[in-house]
Amino acid sequence: MAGIELRALHKRFGTTDVVRGIDLTVPSGAFLTLLGPSGCGKSTLLRMLAGLEAPSAGQILFDGSVVNDIPPGRRDIAMVFQSYALYPHMTVAQNIAYPLRKRGVPRGERDAAVARAAEVLQLTALLDRRPRELSGGQQQRVALGRALVREPRIFLLDEPLSNLDATLRSHMRRELVALHRRIGRTMVYVTHDQLEAMTMSTHVAVIDGGRLQQFGTPAEVYRRPANRMVASFIGTPGMAFADGMVATGRLLLAGRPLALIGAPDGPVTVGIRAEDVEIADTGVAACVTDMEAVGHETLLTLSGEFGTVTARAPADCRLAPGATVHWQVRPAQLHLFNPETGDRRNAALSPITSSNETTAP
Amino acid sequence: MSPRLARTGWSLLAWSLILLVAGPLLWMVATSLKSEDEVFSLEPTLLPVEPTLEHYAVLLTETAFPAYFANSVVIATATTTVVVVLAVLGAFSLARFRYRGREAIASAVLLCYMLPSVVLIIPLYLLMVRLGLANTIASLVIAYTSFALPYALWLLRTFMAAVPVEIEQAALIDGASRMGAFFDVLLPQVLPGIISTALFTFILAWNEFLFALVLVNADDVRPLTTGVMTMLVSGFNIEWSLLMAASVMMSVPLIIILAFLQGHLVRGFGAGAVKG
Ligand SMILES: Nc1ncnc2c1ncn2[C@@H]1O[C@H](COP(=O)(O)OP(=O)(O)O)[C@@H](O)[C@H]1O
Ligand SMILES: [Mg+2]
Repeated sequence: MAGIELRALHKRFGTTDVVRGIDLTVPSGAFLTLLGPSGCGKSTLLRMLAGLEAPSAGQILFDGSVVNDIPPGRRDIAMVFQSYALYPHMTVAQNIAYPLRKRGVPRGERDAAVARAAEVLQLTALLDRRPRELSGGQQQRVALGRALVREPRIFLLDEPLSNLDATLRSHMRRELVALHRRIGRTMVYVTHDQLEAMTMSTHVAVIDGGRLQQFGTPAEVYRRPANRMVASFIGTPGMAFADGMVATGRLLLAGRPLALIGAPDGPVTVGIRAEDVEIADTGVAACVTDMEAVGHETLLTLSGEFGTVTARAPADCRLAPGATVHWQVRPAQLHLFNPETGDRRNAALSPITSSNETTAP
Repeated sequence: MSPRLARTGWSLLAWSLILLVAGPLLWMVATSLKSEDEVFSLEPTLLPVEPTLEHYAVLLTETAFPAYFANSVVIATATTTVVVVLAVLGAFSLARFRYRGREAIASAVLLCYMLPSVVLIIPLYLLMVRLGLANTIASLVIAYTSFALPYALWLLRTFMAAVPVEIEQAALIDGASRMGAFFDVLLPQVLPGIISTALFTFILAWNEFLFALVLVNADDVRPLTTGVMTMLVSGFNIEWSLLMAASVMMSVPLIIILAFLQGHLVRGFGAGAVKG
């Protein structure tokens, strides 16, 4: 088991800076998710942890000692590559057994370990096939098997579930979480799927443009997004944003007061999550411009003078596009951001009641 | 044109090509089986009337043919071994290690391959004399290696560059050494390339004539190509039936090797296991 510490980690390819100074510390046994859009540098960061890319600057520490100069084979890690990187000429069983073979594990023990991994990953029937005779999802499971067959200090997983169907994916999510709980090894998990990050991790590092945007528990990242990028990346449907204004202690949207606020006057970006929007008899008037049935609920797109927000409605919602509705949001649930930098602004928000205001929205 | 007619046309074309290529070979085999009289008969026959193996017997028992054959086997095998080992290691370096001048070396290699080998005759001859290697089997092995190596390097580098680096990196993480990853993972992927290289080199060394003529002038080290010529072709006379029998026997090893390796050449070109 090993804690991981990154100090001002930087990677540049030619003239492109791909990772731009990341500082991060996770304790031993953490399940750290690197979350971010495609191309933000997640794989590069993971490959530096693996020792496959040398950092251009900065340090990587495992358990307090710098590993920058330690080759991949001696870092005691296992990795699932985004590209799977299976050995094409070996069977599934040989692929999974390879790390054990290279470490001199005796035959019998090896076979037992392969059988166990194959069981968990539902690969038992495929053990004699070669990678090219497998579907993408099956190949991905073999790649997982090759990593999970050992118990290294650190697991590095690069989008290991991206190619699985929904059922298998949620099954594997549970398996990984159970495995993490059982063996308590540090895991670094790369994904662009915020749901995976939210459900599996103990720590989430949101990355964009090679920079760490926010680091915290899934709940912290969800409840208090550090900036607009994090806010819009996390949560489905995505957070809606509107341009607001603070004037004389009030937060105004489209010139109408929405809440009392303890903040200096000036422009502000207001973020509203779909689950905080309540359809009500009074409040902001808006037109239903789109409806999306997602099974257990219906997502409504509401357009009005405050801009466009998304609201959740029950699956049996009888509204039709074109209908006019009213919605409300509790002030404490609003997210405020600096319109220029996108950084979060913390301010005390409270409802405007009849005692302090006559025209509530 | 009806599809059927088109098919017949294509078949005809294919068969005439085959005949064009195989014709001389068949003629060679037929002639080697004819008696001396029949070869020079005024009414030429296509197939031998009375097939005879006497020329083969003569070559094998009464001439230096077996010695030349042995020399050729040694020269071709040694050249192939040296070229394959050097090319595999060199191509690995050119494909996988990063160092200054790597691209320059790769281009220089290609340039060497494009150089007509004739321009090397005199320098190589002088070099061999200085090294005291004139009239040795080693001189031919060195000369052939110098022609075959650039092509072999280029070919194998292309093969290796096409293999995703990540499978070797996976092997490194799984506990293999750099060389372990090379042998366990990369080598099996480029096996078809290695076989092509070996085949190319062997055929080149087996068939080469000009350098053998210039560099070697002693009967005990002469390979088949020059050996057979000096033995059977003189200013006054060409022993056609013996020459044809010798040619047939010279072709046999190549035919056997090709038949043996053909399957390997085609196999292994399967899809990789790395997602795009
Ligand atoms: N070896 C490399 N050379 C040059 N650019 C690279 C290399 N590897 C990755 N990049 C670039 O770095 C950026 C981040 O890549 P990557 O780490 O794979 O992103 P992610 O995994 O988050 O999708 C991309 O723009 C990619 O083109
Ligand atoms: Mg990636």
